[in-house]
Amino acid sequence: MSFSRNKLYGIILTACIAGYTWIYLSCLWGIKGSRSVNMCFIKSITNIPCPSCGSTRSVLALINGRFLESLYLNPMGFLIAIIIFFAPIWIISDMVTKSSSFLMFYSKMERYLKKPAFSIPLILLVIINWIWNIKKGI
Amino acid sequence: MDTQKVDMFILSNGKFFESHHINMIRERLLAIDDSKWVAISTIQFKDPTTSLIVSILAGSMGIDRFIIGDSGLGVGKLLTCGGFGIWTIVDWFQIQKATREKNLEKIQQFLY
Repeated sequence: MSFSRNKLYGIILTACIAGYTWIYLSCLWGIKGSRSVNMCFIKSITNIPCPSCGSTRSVLALINGRFLESLYLNPMGFLIAIIIFFAPIWIISDMVTKSSSFLMFYSKMERYLKKPAFSIPLILLVIINWIWNIKKGI
Repeated sequence: MDTQKVDMFILSNGKFFESHHINMIRERLLAIDDSKWVAISTIQFKDPTTSLIVSILAGSMGIDRFIIGDSGLGVGKLLTCGGFGIWTIVDWFQIQKATREKNLEKIQQFLY
C-alpha cells in the first residue's frame, strides 16, 4: 500500500526477470530432479526443506507439460508460474495505457491478506505444504 | 500541543522513527490540536529491533515482511525461498529502516 506505482512495478519486473534468468539457467544446467544447485538458506543450513523448496523443479516440470509431477513436487510452483507469466503482461499493458490497475489489485490483495479469515487458512496451507515437503524429502 | 507533551512523546518514541524524520514529526505535533493527543499517545508502533530478530531467524520465509505489514512482499519472499537467499541478506540490513518508515506512515494518519 505504501508503494508508489513505479516502484512496485520496478520491483516486480526485476523479480520476474530474475525468475526467468533462474529458470533459463536451471534448464541450461539440466536441473531436473537428479542434481540441484542449492539456493535455499534453510535447506543449506539445517538440511530441512523450506515450504517453497522444489518450486524450481515444479515450474520446470510444468513447462515440460508434466502437470502431475509438478503438483507432486510443490503446488507453489503453479502459483509462481501464474505470477511470473501474467504479472509482466499486466504491468506492461498498464504502462502502455498509463493506468494503475495492477497497483490497485496489489493493494486490494494486501488488504485481504491482513484479514484473519483469509490469512489463517493460507498460513495453514503453507504449513501443510511444509510438512509434506519434509515428508517427501524434496 | 504544548512543548512538554511533544518532547515527552519524542523521548519515548524516538527509536521508532528515522532520525531525519523526527524534526518534522516534532514540528507537526507542535502545530496540531491538543484534542489529538490521546489518539497519538496511544498508537502502537512496530519495534525495529523485533523485526530485525525475526528477519534473522525467519527472514527466508518472509515473516519479517508480514510482520511490518508488507504482505505482498512477504508472499514474494515466501514463494522464492527468501529471494534465493539474497533478499534475505539484504533485508537483514534494510528491515529496520522499512519498519521505521511503516511507523512514520502510521503516525502520519494522525498528523494531517
